[in-house]
Amino acid sequence: MTDSSRRTFIKGAGTLLAGGLLPVSLVELVFAKTSDNFTFAYISDSHIQQISGNEFVRNFDRGLIRAVAECNLMDPKPDFVIYGGDLAQLGSKPEIDHGLEIMSALNYKTHYVMGEHDYYLDLGEYWESQLGPQHYSFDHKGVHFVILNSILTYDDWTHNRWSSGEERMGVMAGLDNPNGSPFMVGDAQRVWLKKDLDKVSKDTPLVVLSHSPLQKIYKGWNFWTEDAEQIQALLKPFNKVNVLYGHVHQIQYNQIGNISFNSAMATAWPWPYPSSFLKSASHVPKLTVKMNRADPFFERDATGWQFIDVNSGNVDVQYSLTDNKPRTVAFSDKKKQPQDTQYQDKTIPPQEHY
Amino acid sequence: MKAHAIKNMRTSHYAISTLLLVSIALFAVTLQADDFTDQDLKDWQAAYESVVKEGRAAFTDPDLGNNGVVCAQCHPNGANTHPETYPKFQKQLGRVAALWEMVNWCILNPLEGEPLEAGSQRMIALQAYIHDERRGAALEPGKH
Amino acid sequence: MKKFASWAVFSLLWLVVPVSVAEPLGLPPVPVPADNPQSPEKIALGDKLFHDTRFSATGEVSCATCHDRGKVFTDSPLRVSEGINKLTGTRNAPTVVNAAYMTSMFWDGREPDLEGQSGQPFLNPVEMALPDHQPILDIVRKDPDYVAAFKTVFGKSGDQVTMKEVKQAIASFERTLVSGDSPFDRYYFGGETDAMSAAAIRGLEVFLNRGRCVSCHTISQNYALFTDNRFHNLNVGFERIGKDVTELANAFSAAKATGTDVDIAVLTNKNTSELGRFAVDDQWTSMGGFKTPTLRNIEKTAPYMHDGSLKTLKDVVDFYINGGRVKETDPVNAFQSGGIRQLDFTGRDKSDLVAFMKALTSPDYASEGEKTQ
Repeated sequence: MTDSSRRTFIKGAGTLLAGGLLPVSLVELVFAKTSDNFTFAYISDSHIQQISGNEFVRNFDRGLIRAVAECNLMDPKPDFVIYGGDLAQLGSKPEIDHGLEIMSALNYKTHYVMGEHDYYLDLGEYWESQLGPQHYSFDHKGVHFVILNSILTYDDWTHNRWSSGEERMGVMAGLDNPNGSPFMVGDAQRVWLKKDLDKVSKDTPLVVLSHSPLQKIYKGWNFWTEDAEQIQALLKPFNKVNVLYGHVHQIQYNQIGNISFNSAMATAWPWPYPSSFLKSASHVPKLTVKMNRADPFFERDATGWQFIDVNSGNVDVQYSLTDNKPRTVAFSDKKKQPQDTQYQDKTIPPQEHY
Repeated sequence: MKAHAIKNMRTSHYAISTLLLVSIALFAVTLQADDFTDQDLKDWQAAYESVVKEGRAAFTDPDLGNNGVVCAQCHPNGANTHPETYPKFQKQLGRVAALWEMVNWCILNPLEGEPLEAGSQRMIALQAYIHDERRGAALEPGKH
Repeated sequence: MKKFASWAVFSLLWLVVPVSVAEPLGLPPVPVPADNPQSPEKIALGDKLFHDTRFSATGEVSCATCHDRGKVFTDSPLRVSEGINKLTGTRNAPTVVNAAYMTSMFWDGREPDLEGQSGQPFLNPVEMALPDHQPILDIVRKDPDYVAAFKTVFGKSGDQVTMKEVKQAIASFERTLVSGDSPFDRYYFGGETDAMSAAAIRGLEVFLNRGRCVSCHTISQNYALFTDNRFHNLNVGFERIGKDVTELANAFSAAKATGTDVDIAVLTNKNTSELGRFAVDDQWTSMGGFKTPTLRNIEKTAPYMHDGSLKTLKDVVDFYINGGRVKETDPVNAFQSGGIRQLDFTGRDKSDLVAFMKALTSPDYASEGEKTQ
């Protein structure tokens, strides 16, 4: 991508035009090797919810429709799209079909990540029939992409407790349901991951897509991956690692050693930050500048999607936030961690007034 | 004559005193406004908790509105309801309002349902649950 | 000499002492910028400039052509405005009344204040069509009445008189065009329980609840502006560009980067006009968005919406009941505001809501303009 095409690109996101203020880290990156740079779109957490028959909750349909329409506006076009999980609310065929129908308006190839709402009805059987394996990897322009199914849980919970898939899905669908079970990648998939990464040189940048955060943020709402430390240990030997995750329906970002973490917004609805629940402790990364608090009258407020600029192996996330100014969380070469390009040291009331 | 009158007076004096004492005793027995026991407290707490439970049930009931959406979807554990800030100016209502009015706004709007009566069992239960999850937060009426 | 001195002091007093009028019932104090205080002379000068048709290519068009006092400062019932030689633009003329409370001007907010707005129509080919502001300056620097007025108001003459002073005077006049004290204001803020009809009272309840109106057409605790000053895509007119929005949006952004004037582009091209706020701030969230107008005096300023496409208040209510569609079968564009959805109206709700909107007419304008249904 050339400099001039990047400028048009930034225009689309709403940052001030040439002559105005370009975010500093993007300016730094302009001088990086352009052959290392590309963009992909990242849409997540649509929670298409069936009411009955062909009737779906309009609010959530509109969120995905808007993300797809805005994504189609991108100029220059992204290389591909990644869908971050929770396409359906209860994982049913009508919901997955309806979601895929909306996604079909996208003009680009899409890779899908599994979410728990897609999985627990039938353990991903219908999903796989439409979209392929639940975990896999691919390479693109010198970057190794790994897609994990990180919303699995203990076998006993999955297989031995429920009279039906519907019952199991219903429990897992409640974020605060005390009868849920913590997410994990699990032993088998970690074995696969190690084998997959053994083939990749330590200099190759990694982008890991996961629905759960691959960190331990708040167990009560499953902002949690039980084997986070083990996954992080597998990623540690690589020079540049970026984890992108969904599930949390809010802006979060973090740096653990050499691993950058960035979350996706939901197209459906926002979730409160765990710190707003007073009864138990939580660990939202201190680095994170929160998203703006929503006005629930505007159904798209505090929802959105993102496009990811991969610059020399590090990831800059640009959030397109309906009814709000866009935000950019870019990797700072100086601080070696993600930083919000505008608000990192200067938050505004909607980001604090929770 | 005089002795008889005096005796009568003494009798009536006794009668009046007795009457007074009995009245006071009765009064004391029937109107113990400030006197409650540990058992009372347990009973009343149990009554409250049963309503909190009803509130949680309503909070997760797909039939509270008309589209299957539940309060807990956007407010896990009642988070971001801020009961401790009411009454306050509520943008969506155009005026200073109480918690129950905003609960009704949510039922009417994101849940596409019908509002509840302020004093209805369901509304009281919802408020009980919302407040209970927010136990410990300092009162800050008027805070946005 | 003494007479002259006292006259001089007298006129100086008028310059120094700000003129303030208590705001009408239901409105907050009019915001006045520190660098453009009000004075009777400045207001009178602004009034004169506002009505001067010499500031147009044909000598026939002034601000008042499209913002006519007799029509609540609009050109109702025109759908879109007509400039020189009856050339049409793309958008419906908003009222100037209570515009002083807006935080940006024009349907797409492309000017931040009344001062900024006033300079643009002079240069638009479908409005006054001047090549630049020089013809205006020539007149105000030479016409004796203007020369005296600018000297009195600003202490400036000759080349010192610039478009800045012209725009400040016009804005100053426009800041006096505020009106409240409608039947609604007397009922809601004045405590007069019989100020509104029973239908309008029911309509207020619809406005606040089932109608979902108050979030954009705001009512506050002690006053009501009826606008949130934000931009929303209601799905009016967007179908004109719906299929081509990617090409149109990107072509427009490219043209803008090489110097295309937004004011001219949006008023001379029907498709470009539909980009709405996006044409101004380049944000996807603003795609097809237009500023919430005030509802004060709305009964008198038909037709409605940025393109004047809805003729009556009944049509407007039907549009909202249908979730932002004229006919229930019309498509809804992908960028429609999340605040718009189908409404659940029953029985008298529709006519009550219309009755409520008619209760927003101020006494100053009660007898003017067209009555609409």
